[in-house]
Amino acid sequence: MTLQDIQNTLVQGIASITSKDQASVSVDVPFHELGIDSLGFVEILVFIEKTFKLQLIESGLDKKDFATIHSLASFLHKKL
Amino acid sequence: MKETTSAGNMSQVVIVMASAISPSELQKHLGRFISEFPVVNGSIGRDINICPYWKMPGKTEGKLNFTSHTCPDEGDLWAVLSTCANEPFKDDREHLAFHHVNTKSQKSCLAMSFDHRLLDARGAESFLGLFQQYLESNSGPAVSSGVALSGPAHLSEWMKKFLAGRNVNRKIIALSEHPLAALPVPDGKKKEFGYRLIRFDQQETQTIYENAYRTAGYLMESPYLLSVIMQAVDGLFEKRKAEQGSYLAAVSVDMRTSEDIKQELFFNHVSYLFFQAHRGIVNNRKELVHSIKMQMYDQIKSGVPRDIMEASHLTRIAPLSFFKKIIDGPLKGKIATFIFSHVSKNPLAPELMGAKIEDVFHMPRVPVPPGLGFFSNYFNGRLNLVISYLEGLMGDDEVDVLEKELTDRMLGRDK
Repeated sequence: MTLQDIQNTLVQGIASITSKDQASVSVDVPFHELGIDSLGFVEILVFIEKTFKLQLIESGLDKKDFATIHSLASFLHKKL
Repeated sequence: MKETTSAGNMSQVVIVMASAISPSELQKHLGRFISEFPVVNGSIGRDINICPYWKMPGKTEGKLNFTSHTCPDEGDLWAVLSTCANEPFKDDREHLAFHHVNTKSQKSCLAMSFDHRLLDARGAESFLGLFQQYLESNSGPAVSSGVALSGPAHLSEWMKKFLAGRNVNRKIIALSEHPLAALPVPDGKKKEFGYRLIRFDQQETQTIYENAYRTAGYLMESPYLLSVIMQAVDGLFEKRKAEQGSYLAAVSVDMRTSEDIKQELFFNHVSYLFFQAHRGIVNNRKELVHSIKMQMYDQIKSGVPRDIMEASHLTRIAPLSFFKKIIDGPLKGKIATFIFSHVSKNPLAPELMGAKIEDVFHMPRVPVPPGLGFFSNYFNGRLNLVISYLEGLMGDDEVDVLEKELTDRMLGRDK
């Protein structure tokens, strides 16, 4: 999967979880600014596990990995 | 059984303002605003259907339960608000009541008591946010446009609901394998609630959120707050030298996104996650937070909140006596140790009728059992935490200890 494919998949999933249009989900905005709380965040982690087969809940991720969808896509790209 | 199944539950959202507002003006505006929403005068109908539904009048009846209080002593404000929160609705068609309080120091409060069948906590805040928009629009275009006034009954697809019910049943059986620690519910029919409000200033709130990030991780405030509450509750049980058992927290979760709430404002959209902690691990914060996070992850992955939401529709057709048998039988009269809710976002504008909003918090009547709940909300860079408890469940000295334990642990002073 290319970085762009991963990023597009994340945008689709996050748009679905937050009930937003894909066009309004910016890849350069921090997650907490997308209106995501603890529940929404865990839903995203579950989406990542189901889609990319990677469990991140206890993987030591910090804010910089989730700074933006773009940075998360880069992190996943390295892991896959 | 009404208190247990939420059929008779109510809560109160309180807005504190920095200056006084006119009670007559407020009553007039609220009356006009409410008249836009016949749904608030609805009632449970069944007719020839097996499932009850929300029966709405064609137009509002113009009835507004509004009371105004003057509080000469600032110290009495909490008692006045607590009395308002405990005041029952007049009849089955009343689901909202408004209380206005002016204080001697020229502050004022608007408290809205609401029936949990009509609104949940975020819905109630959004409803008041809509009232602000209504005031701003100067009674212009109908403010109710775009709001779903009658949601679908969701009572089709029975097989899906029964399968969800089966999953919930399995979850309940798994949770009830271990003896549950819960405070004994006092006898007597008087069901008044006591409240304590713990306010954290912006600096303290920042400290709490930093602690949450360091201990639980990015965007993991809720699991962190729950771990702190669980430890404080453990302190209470330790002091009582209560019998051994595991703690079970029922945590309410809003099934709407921040986008959905603009339309799905009315009715209750809350489901639950359940967190169990054996008393042996509660004192180890790191282990406790890890356990809570993993339970949260596993339950969301297996769709527990969605199953509870689906299965709860089945409860509409079951008589209350049926639930009593379940609670008294397999659950041995215990449902959870306590209930926890956290509202992380707030839809309110900074002013109401020209008065600056200083604070917002909730005073819920918690289902009995357990009769003990914690409700936190974030407003204007500050965290509030309200303890809600059935009178007689704890002594005043115990509530004092719980309040201190929570404050110290939230701020990391317990190390």
